[in-house]
This record gives sequence, structure tokens and C-alpha cells, in this order.
Amino acid sequence: MRISVMSQMHRSFSIDLPSLIPLQLPSRRETHLWYVIPDEVKSTSLLKRYSQLLSPIEKDGVDQMRGDELKKNALLARTLVRTTIARYQTNKEVDPRSLMFKKNVYGKPEVDWQNCNNQPLHFNISHTDSLIACGVTVHVPVGIDVEDKERKIKHDVLAFAKRFYSADEVNVLATILDPEVQRKEFIKLWTLKEAYVKALGKGFSAAPFNTFTIQSMPGTEGAYNLCKTSEVTADPPEETKKCNGGWKFALFDLADSHYAAVCTEDDQANEGAPTKIIVRKTIPFVEDQLISERIFL
Amino acid sequence: MASPSTSSLSFKAPSIQSTRTSQVLRKPLSFQPISFGRFQSSKNLRLQISCAAKPETVQKVSDIVREQLALSADTALTAESKFSALGADSLDTVEIVMALEEKFNISVEEADAQNITTIQEAADLIEDLAQKKPAA
Repeated sequence: MRISVMSQMHRSFSIDLPSLIPLQLPSRRETHLWYVIPDEVKSTSLLKRYSQLLSPIEKDGVDQMRGDELKKNALLARTLVRTTIARYQTNKEVDPRSLMFKKNVYGKPEVDWQNCNNQPLHFNISHTDSLIACGVTVHVPVGIDVEDKERKIKHDVLAFAKRFYSADEVNVLATILDPEVQRKEFIKLWTLKEAYVKALGKGFSAAPFNTFTIQSMPGTEGAYNLCKTSEVTADPPEETKKCNGGWKFALFDLADSHYAAVCTEDDQANEGAPTKIIVRKTIPFVEDQLISERIFL
Repeated sequence: MASPSTSSLSFKAPSIQSTRTSQVLRKPLSFQPISFGRFQSSKNLRLQISCAAKPETVQKVSDIVREQLALSADTALTAESKFSALGADSLDTVEIVMALEEKFNISVEEADAQNITTIQEAADLIEDLAQKKPAA
């Protein structure tokens, strides 16, 4: 009796979940960016399938969200992470339900490979009301942030920047006269700074926003530099700026509606080499769409 | 990190500094269910040991949160309400903190700002900071 019940259960699991199409790992100089548009996922049966992928803790997390839209987005975020990572395991088919996650000592989410393989895969997710994104790299930590371009800031943009950004960044924003352009630059800077802190993976206390400057690299489109400010103990105290490498940044438009920032640790072997970002839109189990492949210096 | 050189008193608790550092190694399994795209630095021990804030403070915080997140009138808010469960992202949290600073005339250190996750925590922090201000 017990055996037939179990084989029934086994059958229903394998029927319910279609296979995931495997993916080639990113190369060392690549970041893969996947995104889902919640409005494009309407099928309740598909959403039900997604919820079957989640761990009990993740399901609790979804349930805690206040409101159907927030619940749906939380579900899509976990689904995107599980299915995307599962697809990169090209050695064998990996059930996305079987993936385990943990947090590093500072709280950054990572895959818990359970000593199966020493996987070099890194990921980071970001979401807004209307878009959920997941960045994937190999060998180097990655941080991403996406923001709605039209997002309105309730405070005065410059006051906000003075409170939280670095002095150099405030100066750049202060020279922009058009308030709309200024607001957009503010948002772009926010995504870049968030992406950096998330790539660093040590929590916000490790890199308060006013201790580093991200500036655009002249003559490039979408490439940025990081400068860290540190106070040298002297009399009077001086501020030194270190703008050497270590981290690569890319900022670009996503789905015409969002800014996306990607930050990866510069691979020491290939320091300074250009990086490629491959953007794909997806509906897990349904379809992928290649959106762009772009090189950033 | 730049310390605010304004007239409002920013929070410093020298006796807590050592315990704050020891809090860095937090348990990796305390799952923050919502902040998938963000993660939190160690909790401020001080927040846990202070007395609970007055109901009026909690109410004022709720009003600010409701406005910042554009919540509908039928979204019930309690002291335990988590910002992330209400759909707040990091930018919202920072804007909430700025609004709280303006409303209560306090100055919140960035590390504390990032640690606020519920209405109760915001209210507790506000009352702690308000208490430490020099008498007018």
C-alpha cells in the first residue's frame, strides 16, 4: 500500500514539472541578466506551479507580503532565482526545488551547494513593482539593482543626495539644472551604488553611501568608475581618493522602463578587460527572449 | 563615514560599541523572507533592550510609512508591520528615515537607518534619539 502511494506521488511530481532548458555558464568576462515582467505572467496554473518550487520558508515569505501583487512578485522572484540557477547545472538536470540557499555572515543570499560541487556560480537579484531581475556570474561576486525610471523621489533630490551621497556626487548633481534630468541622474547613481554594496556583500555598514563616489568614465556610454574616500589621519585631516580598479560597473536601460546597474568584482587575471552583459527576458518554463548583448569597457 | 555636523544630536552609545561588533557574526539561518534583493547588516543590540515606544510615536511613524509607500486606507498597519512586507525597497526605507528625521527633528546614523525593518523599530529609535537630545 505504502509503495503504491509513493510511486503515485513520484509520478505526480514528474508530470507537474516540465523540464527546464539548460543554459551555458557565463564566461569569466560575462554577466547574464535575466528578468521577468510580472504583468506578463497571468496564468494561475503557471503561478501555482511556481509556488510548488518554493521551500516552506520561502512560501512563508510570500505569504507575509501584504497584498496579492506583492505576493505574486515575491513568488516570481524566488522562482526566477531557482529556475535560473537550476538551468546552469549542465552536468545533470537539477530540480529547482532541490536548491538550498543560505546567507553569508553579513546576510547576503547565496546558493548552498551542500558540498556537491564547488560551483563558481554567483547570483544577485533585484526587484521593483514591475520588473524582477537576476544577475549571474562565474567566479566573481555580482550585485545588481533595477529601478523604475519614472520613480518619483518624495524629498528634494539634492537634499537627499547631500544626506546620503558623497560630496563629489552631490557636486555632479548640483550642476544639473533640469530637475527631471537631475532626478534621473540621481536614480542612476542610486542603482550603481546599490549594485556595488550588494556585490561587496558585506552589508551597508561596510560601505556607507557617502564613503564612495561612482562617476561616469568620460568618453564611454554606461561605464563607471568607483572612487573610495578615506580620511587620512593628519592635521588637518585629509581626504584621499582611490579610484583604482577592483570593481566594474555597467549601467543601461532595461525594458525601456528601468535603469539597471550591474557591478562585478574585477577579475585579477583580466583586470581592466571589457565585460559583456547578456540580457534575456524570461517566463520560467515558458520562454526566453534574448534582448541584448553589450560590451562595457 | 562622515558624521553629521549639525546641531541635532546624533546617536552615540559608547558602552554598546563592543557589543555591536560582537553582533557582526549573526546566525546565518535567520531568514529574512522578503529582502531577496537586499540583505541586512547586524541588528543593533541597543534597539532590543530599549523600552517600547509610545503609541503616539508608533502612529506617527505609521502615517509616514503609509504616505511613503502609498498604501491604501484598508492596509492595516501595526507596530509589527515589516517595511519589506509592505513593499518597501531600500530607497523607500531611506526616504522613510528622512521623513522621520524631519518630523521628529532627529538625526539617524546610516548604520541605524539600514537596520530599521518594522514600524516598532523606527518608533523605538526615534524615542531613543529624542531622549538623548540636550534640553532646550
